[in-house]
Amino acid sequence: MTKNISEITLPINGMTCASCVAHVEDALKELPGTSNVLVNLATNKANLSYDPQRVKLNDMRRAVEDVGYAIAIAEQTLDVRGMTCASCVDHVQGALKELHGVQDAVVNLGLNTARVTYIPGVVSTASMKRAVREVGYEAQERSEGTDALDRERQAREDEIKIQGRNLIIAGTIGLIVMIGTFYDMAGPFKAFIPVWLSYKWVIGLLTTPIVFGPGRQFFSNSWRGLKHGVTDMNLLYATGIGAAYGIAVINTVFPKAGFGGEGATFFESAALLTAFIILGRWLEALTRGRTSEAIRKLMKLQPKVARVMRNGREEEIPADEVELGDVILVRPGESIAVDGQVFEGYSAVDESMLTGESLPVEKKAGDPVIGGTFNKTGAFKFKATRVGKDTSLAQIIKLVEDAQASKAPIQKLADWVAGHFILGVHLLAVVVFIFWFFFGYQMFFDPNSSFIMSPYKLGEIGVFGFSLLLSVTVLVISCPCAVGLATPSAMMAGTGKAAEFGVLFKGAEAIENTSKLQTIVFDKTGTLTKGEPSVTDVVVSGLSLVNDNQLLRFAAIAEKNSEHPLGEAIVHGAESRGLQVTGPDSFNSIPGHGVEANVNGSEILLGNRKLMKERGVDFAAMMSQAEALEVDGKTVMFVAVDAKPGGLIAVADTLKEYSAEAIKHLHKLGLEVVMITGDNRRTADAIARKVGIDRVLAEVLPQDKAEEVKKLQAQGKKVAMVGDGVNDAPALAQAEVGMAIGSGTDVAKETGDIILIKDDIRDVVVALEVAKATMRKVKQNLFWAFFYNTLGIPLGAGLFYAFASVVISPELAGLMMAVSSISVTLNTLLLKRFKPSVGRGHKPKQGSGNAQLRPATASVGDD
Amino acid sequence: MEHEQVEKEVAQKSALIYLPISIGSALLFLLATAFSGDYPIMTRVGGMVWIGLLSLIVSMPVVISRVKKQLQGKPL
Repeated sequence: MTKNISEITLPINGMTCASCVAHVEDALKELPGTSNVLVNLATNKANLSYDPQRVKLNDMRRAVEDVGYAIAIAEQTLDVRGMTCASCVDHVQGALKELHGVQDAVVNLGLNTARVTYIPGVVSTASMKRAVREVGYEAQERSEGTDALDRERQAREDEIKIQGRNLIIAGTIGLIVMIGTFYDMAGPFKAFIPVWLSYKWVIGLLTTPIVFGPGRQFFSNSWRGLKHGVTDMNLLYATGIGAAYGIAVINTVFPKAGFGGEGATFFESAALLTAFIILGRWLEALTRGRTSEAIRKLMKLQPKVARVMRNGREEEIPADEVELGDVILVRPGESIAVDGQVFEGYSAVDESMLTGESLPVEKKAGDPVIGGTFNKTGAFKFKATRVGKDTSLAQIIKLVEDAQASKAPIQKLADWVAGHFILGVHLLAVVVFIFWFFFGYQMFFDPNSSFIMSPYKLGEIGVFGFSLLLSVTVLVISCPCAVGLATPSAMMAGTGKAAEFGVLFKGAEAIENTSKLQTIVFDKTGTLTKGEPSVTDVVVSGLSLVNDNQLLRFAAIAEKNSEHPLGEAIVHGAESRGLQVTGPDSFNSIPGHGVEANVNGSEILLGNRKLMKERGVDFAAMMSQAEALEVDGKTVMFVAVDAKPGGLIAVADTLKEYSAEAIKHLHKLGLEVVMITGDNRRTADAIARKVGIDRVLAEVLPQDKAEEVKKLQAQGKKVAMVGDGVNDAPALAQAEVGMAIGSGTDVAKETGDIILIKDDIRDVVVALEVAKATMRKVKQNLFWAFFYNTLGIPLGAGLFYAFASVVISPELAGLMMAVSSISVTLNTLLLKRFKPSVGRGHKPKQGSGNAQLRPATASVGDD
Repeated sequence: MEHEQVEKEVAQKSALIYLPISIGSALLFLLATAFSGDYPIMTRVGGMVWIGLLSLIVSMPVVISRVKKQLQGKPL
């Protein structure tokens, strides 16, 4: 037996010294089937010979990773043209995955892209493109940003143009063929139709350019695939059109050949079938692009030019040439080119297109601005802090694109079914032919029977013609094109719609999982509450000589020098009431108890009840009020003025504005809402009562949050965790769905399956509603797709012929399949009307205006 | 170059399998028509060609992909 030895060069990451080289070399040498292992530190590469039968590339990757290094992985997105169905997805994916060095390939039918994860040096982009070409499609590298947008739009327009031209040819001639075929039934209209149009050879001559012109794509594409062992929907069409045309030609040229003669010349079937299939493709090209409208709108936001200050002068340069630190000028009514920080000027900026925030956001010196947003009123200058691929807009586009390119579990199943369907259909066509040839025709054939919706009688079609007709109809009617579109089109529309509201799904799986959630766990601090204590109540003692503002002012002055969070809250509370907080005359901190200070000659003592007891200040009259505040989850500070009870100041972490509203909506959606916090039970319960939380997990240490999520999952619940993307990362990762809230626009750093850009808890409801609406659409689409096939296949196979004596013609089968694809796409487009149930002011104006035409060039008015 | 060589080899080896399968199915059909009814000769031939063609379409991709996997040793 000869050994099949191959050589490979692997790029290695993480090597710093000679011992690293030895580690990597040893790891690779230990694998069975490897030899001549040579690792080069300078080039960061490992060369080796290996036996593919004994060791796989993944084994090598694992071995290198096990010793602490990594094989470098790169990602390439290809634009793939010519895919029409789920089986195409399977073929392209299969062709790419078969390439040595390709780790993974995810093909998206809706976006016409293939995202390939590969080992650089082992496989090249050129070989990926070749592999795609070899299975019958076209591929090219995808570029970023607006170029990609232009290219994608161009490709779609080309497809619409090509299929439109084909449709005009096939439709026009097909109509003439139909008129000629039904000449005998034209009744009073006969006078307007020349008799020669009904001659079979004329009809044949007219059909020929349809089959070999617009219809040629089906033959050439299916043959290219077939040669490499793949079958797609083109094959179904090619077999159907080819068989109808071939038998019609034989019956016209050799009417005595025994295939049914002139009574079985189905030229109109071949002509109209071609026309209808092309009609379906043209309509699909028209509508398919609209499901990815959201990403197109995001891409459109990318300004093309920016006016920067260089060498003391204003210069207009392409936006992608802006460098870090460049000073950019923005006028009212213009778009902001890149991310940055304002250092001069004042304005209000519309960020709705990225964050979903409906109100313009004020911008003054020190505030961040986001590239792609729209400056409304004032003029300002800002310094570029993130440019190119690092801008928020570029990150968001990448995230949405990645999500759209990913596959939900339900889609993987649908793709698998559709991918294996074509061969199954051909086998079914064999079975149908054999049944009608040997049994069905003799048992049920009626010469007076006809096609559905046609007065055309089958007449002397003969056993072969009849069996062939049903066999061909089965091939055409079984086309699973709608099945292939059902899920990706809805996912694309759903992720895009969510992005309009500042909700970013990281993948299609996140949408599917979100739609199945039963329990939502909220982290308390910073998620449900603002995360910083503030003064909630000031209660003045009946014996006190000061009013509440004076009491608060005294307390604030006493705490002025304190660094304790509660002290800071009192100072902020006083300042927010417009009280003047000066420094105390003297100040003394009493660790663990409070502070004492002299303020304008008054002795102020501020702290807990223990401090008051020790100093002999009697708060007995206010104890019931203090306890009531504590039951409410508040921390109570006792204030004594000149050794007499002055009053109480309650401080608490306050709820965010929309927490209660969001939880009410979640309850309406039938979800259990849980709060998790490190706070004590009493404080936690108080907060939970206020917002209507069902269940409280109190006194949970940060590191134990993931464990609590696990416990909920062990009860069989599908759990989402909503929290800070950084601090709550383990719990977010443990949950079925992790939602990182209030991340701002630096989305690349965030963990979690869903990123909520705004710090608005109602976006959790938006995420759930979008996910549910999307999955509802997926299920509706799959239902309709399978409904057409389930109904169509028995109809096409002649199951009802025995009772009704009618059969469906191949061209009507073609029309049905075109309608199935269109109905699925149109159903998906209904998602564009989605509006969340939570109040949102006006709908965000994503892509409002045209940033490409309105340059981000500006200069500050007073410059 | 090596890739093209493999493709060529795959095509040749596969043809040796799927062609006999298709032709065999077609002949089997022809044989069945001889025993099961009084069909005109052209009808039999037509049926044989159609069955042969469908068998080719079904067997070709299955055989080619299997042979390809076998020859490439599926390194990944």
